[in-house]
Amino acid sequence: CCCRALLSRPHGALRPRRALAHGPEMHFGFQTVTEEERREKIYQVFENVAKKYDVMNDSMTLGIHRLWKDILMHKMNPCPGTLLLDVAGGTGDIAFRFINYVRAVRQRQLQRKLKHQQNLSWQEIFESYQKDKFNSLGDSQVVVCDINREMLKVGKQKAQHLGYSEGLSWVLGNAEELPFDDDKFDVYTIAFGIRNVTRIDLALQEAYRVLKPGGRFLCLEFSRVSNPLLSRLYDLYSFQVIPVLGEVIAGDWKSYQYLVESIRQFPPQEELKAMIEDAGFFKVDYENLNFGIVAIHSGFKL
Amino acid sequence: VRCQQYPPLRALQASAVLRRASDEHKKEPLTSSSQQHFDSPPADHQPEPQEPQGPHPSYTGQGGQESEDYESEEQLQHRILTAALEFVPQHGWTAEAIAEGAKTLGLSVAAAGMFQRDGSELILHFVSECNTKLSKLLEKEQKLVQLGEAEKKPIDEFLRDAVEARLRMLIPYIEKWPQALSVLLLPRNIPSSLSLLTSMIDDIWHYAGDQSTDFNWYTRRAVLTGIYNTTELVMMQDSSPGFEDTWRFLENRVADAMAMSNTASQVQSTGEAVVQGLMGAAVTVSN
Repeated sequence: CCCRALLSRPHGALRPRRALAHGPEMHFGFQTVTEEERREKIYQVFENVAKKYDVMNDSMTLGIHRLWKDILMHKMNPCPGTLLLDVAGGTGDIAFRFINYVRAVRQRQLQRKLKHQQNLSWQEIFESYQKDKFNSLGDSQVVVCDINREMLKVGKQKAQHLGYSEGLSWVLGNAEELPFDDDKFDVYTIAFGIRNVTRIDLALQEAYRVLKPGGRFLCLEFSRVSNPLLSRLYDLYSFQVIPVLGEVIAGDWKSYQYLVESIRQFPPQEELKAMIEDAGFFKVDYENLNFGIVAIHSGFKL
Repeated sequence: VRCQQYPPLRALQASAVLRRASDEHKKEPLTSSSQQHFDSPPADHQPEPQEPQGPHPSYTGQGGQESEDYESEEQLQHRILTAALEFVPQHGWTAEAIAEGAKTLGLSVAAAGMFQRDGSELILHFVSECNTKLSKLLEKEQKLVQLGEAEKKPIDEFLRDAVEARLRMLIPYIEKWPQALSVLLLPRNIPSSLSLLTSMIDDIWHYAGDQSTDFNWYTRRAVLTGIYNTTELVMMQDSSPGFEDTWRFLENRVADAMAMSNTASQVQSTGEAVVQGLMGAAVTVSN
């Protein structure tokens, strides 16, 4: 069975040591390629899957990815006025959730303010309505940055379709070299994207750079399942079911084979935590979701 | 301090905020007024005599880059929480108040993510700061008595004044205090809130001169805890000017406690006298 053959490969031999940053050999799934090749291949993967990305997400994870993203947003707990940078945000899932969340918080804030304004004159109440009515997001903004033009295109179409216009901007950029100034953002998120970055350490350093002091780094990513029984089931599902789904739904076996292989190649929770700390973040912590299938890492720029 | 254990690479590139914070502290004192009296530094740092506030390390180094006295994360968290107290009357004991506090320190509002969403840490921080303030106050009074500049108060007056002083610290936050009490009673917070309460009561009795080593130790603390908690609850609902009703309630409860202890000792001595009388009668009868 091909699954067992893939699993029996020693992962350590294929995974490059990140300390030897100049080694040209990198992993692309279970293949070995150079850095440049890797970037190109990954670009092509996402170019191919862009249109069916959301559909595939739903079918692969049985819709659970929505819960994961909701949990990420709940953990972030943004207040109105937050500036979010969503890297590798492609189709905008995190960005839309952010806008919904902030809008709801803002509503509650305005309602509370109104409750306190019991003794104002009509003129004052009218003026406060004027001020707050057009500020439904409370000056919050989200910038979606992605390296792939196709993914951004799909994202923009989705935004138009769902009616998101305020507080949203789309930027083409590379996570390893962000086109933003220092100390700009309150929160930096990268959901299911850091796995595809070729130089993770550079991406983390860039994250540190663009965050304001006190800013938060949040990373939602597939991670290592420690429970052995669950791990076996998960591997079975990943290698047998997902590429087939990819072929049936998106007509693309190879991209989804890459996807599951890249999950196996990605460093486990503790290693990623150490990398985040190396970039300079403090109070780095992670939370496993679904027994480690997915993990949320969080760090602060202090 | 955790920062000092990291290899040099990290110390040089990291902590834009933590290092800068000590620089800012050298240049200008914090402007928030009521928090100036808080000075509960962690055990590993020496307070600076000329600056009365702020839990900062003694950053007397000339070169910012090479100094190892980085503020630790805990100290930064303390500073954020202290700054957040200013916004509690408006926002309540919530993550929003912490976010506003972080903003005043020049940090991003996302720094509030370091704390629990329900504001427990903010409340516990406030309670522990109040307790420290109370300790310092009682210590000062004790010193005055020792130097002979003040008279030693009788026990009931001492207890009354101590509890009143402690409860007065709640006055700026009295509107949102019921919310804080309910958060303190959450199962997750009970160990910490209980230990803060017991250490405060212990402190008061210590400065009151209690040196009991028998069961009295427990009864005294239980009684004072009861007095404190009930007075606190009365204060929540008190709308009299200057909380007069609360202080009168407190006076009555302390008087009750004193009377009760007198009655207890009276009962005991009466009991002993009765027993002796009976014994004497028995001896007489048997003869």
